[in-house]
Amino acid sequence: MTALVQTLVNGLLYGGILSIAAVGFSLIFGVMSVINLTHGIFVIGGAYGALMAWSVLGIDPLLSIPPLMLVAFALGWGCQRLVIQPAVERGNPVAALLVTFGFTLIAVNLLTVTFSSSVRSISPSYSFINLRVGDISIDLVRLVAFACGLALIAILGSFLRFSRWGRVIRATALSELGARLCGVDARAVYALTFAVASAFAAASGVLIGMMLPFTPAEEVTWTVYAFIVVTLGGVGSLGGAMLGGLLLGLVSTLTQTYLGAVYTNMVMFLILLATLLVRPNGILGSAFKASR
Amino acid sequence: MARRITILLLAVLLIAALATLPFFLKAFYVRVGLSIFLSAGFAVCWWLLAGFTSYYSFGHTAFVGIGAFAAALALRAVPEAAPALQLAWALGAGLVVAGGIAMIIAWPILRLRGHYFTIAMLAVALVLGEAVAAFPIFGGSTGLALPNLAPMSVRVEAFFYWIALALLAVVLAIAWAISRSRLGYGLAAIREDEDAAQMLGVPTTRFKVVAFVLSGALTGSIGAVYALNLGYITSDSVFRGSLSLEMIVNSLVGGMGSILGPVIGAAVMTGVTKLVLADLLEYHLAITGILIIAVVLLAPDGIVGLWRRRRAREAER
Repeated sequence: MTALVQTLVNGLLYGGILSIAAVGFSLIFGVMSVINLTHGIFVIGGAYGALMAWSVLGIDPLLSIPPLMLVAFALGWGCQRLVIQPAVERGNPVAALLVTFGFTLIAVNLLTVTFSSSVRSISPSYSFINLRVGDISIDLVRLVAFACGLALIAILGSFLRFSRWGRVIRATALSELGARLCGVDARAVYALTFAVASAFAAASGVLIGMMLPFTPAEEVTWTVYAFIVVTLGGVGSLGGAMLGGLLLGLVSTLTQTYLGAVYTNMVMFLILLATLLVRPNGILGSAFKASR
Repeated sequence: MARRITILLLAVLLIAALATLPFFLKAFYVRVGLSIFLSAGFAVCWWLLAGFTSYYSFGHTAFVGIGAFAAALALRAVPEAAPALQLAWALGAGLVVAGGIAMIIAWPILRLRGHYFTIAMLAVALVLGEAVAAFPIFGGSTGLALPNLAPMSVRVEAFFYWIALALLAVVLAIAWAISRSRLGYGLAAIREDEDAAQMLGVPTTRFKVVAFVLSGALTGSIGAVYALNLGYITSDSVFRGSLSLEMIVNSLVGGMGSILGPVIGAAVMTGVTKLVLADLLEYHLAITGILIIAVVLLAPDGIVGLWRRRRAREAER
């Protein structure tokens, strides 16, 4: 019984991280209908940024989140304006995807040259502390990362829900033409969306870097996980990303405990496939834009 | 009619010329040629589905892997047979098993459109790759070895060069035949507007399934050759996301609008990577990335598109 509860707790904590790591991808997919392969590189880039801040400047990873988000915001803005927007305007669905792939190759190469391809990790002073609640032990770092993840999702949620720009982003997601007729500059909205999504990807990368070891090549994993989370939960909805992430975290740790670690990825990918075949819009998703 | 015969003759001459190259070239260049034919073959197979119907598969490496492992396992059953028979048996195994699995997944997966089909194929490739790595019959993480089937008198790279060239010619011939058949026109109609095509009486589901199975089966048979050439396969080496991406990139670089697009794209991309970038290994990925972005933004219809645009401009003058 304890083992089960422990597994469930671990699963939820891991799921929270999967959620925050997927919101950016979900936003871009939902608003721009672009499968953004640069997502993982922003996540891993965030982790390397935090590593730099921690090892060179001695800044706590959590404190490095806001400045790194700013940097990622600027990079995302530039990347969208310079290469992705022109590809989106070509109208070919695969053009945008390929451009993000090309950008990813360049970024992975630069990261590998700068940091080498060896495995890195960030371990601040509090990283090996365990909290005990009854028989359940909880990693302090994971708990902190989980809490930060939830806080970030809440911030993004209220930005989209209550701010003027958030409303404009949601309107453009529903209908680009409609939004433009109301005087919205769709290109600016796309750039903003991409920049915000990149900032949150980088923030999630910092949290991931505190919990798990990482390499430049690891970006593929996080793009694929974001794919699964978003497809499972529903494209373009934060609630969907939350739900998808938590479910996937549970499934992943349950599989690991009861079936064996070799099957975790296989089960996760099977869930992706099953979701697509049974309910392509995801649990909370609605059939807008991306399905057309 | 006369034009068609000229094209056919030119094609035969070109293939014959290419076939004599291994007698003159160094082993290294023969291997470059071999890689070009293999990736061109894969790209044309991918294009068979994507170019005709605009169903962009993101997981065609699934069929490469299926073909490779089917060949490896099939060869275990006939360790004593003559090499030529073994080769045919391995190719057949790749073709049939990949085609069979394509047929099983075709109906559910082709109900999805657009991005959803693309992602679902990615999921298929990921699931199969993980399954092959997890179950011991496929050698688990250590992988499987394949026998060397090249005869003693022939250089290994030349042997596979000829096989890959022959397969590429077959795949191109099939693609060409389809493009002038009822099936080809039906598939083009699906690409332009699937719902309209269905209303006008095109059996959309059947046509899509045929294209999908054909694409998968042919990819599987080239996958078998790919595996034989490697000599040793693991889940990571044949269920490789970058293989799927290469098919897409090569087709896009060459141009989606023509059968020759994938071939030209594969020749250019593989040639550039193997010959030009060989000395710049450290920045190889970044340069490939820049190349991809440049082609998508500057030549959206690929190299073939650029050439056609130039011809059209000249004709106007």
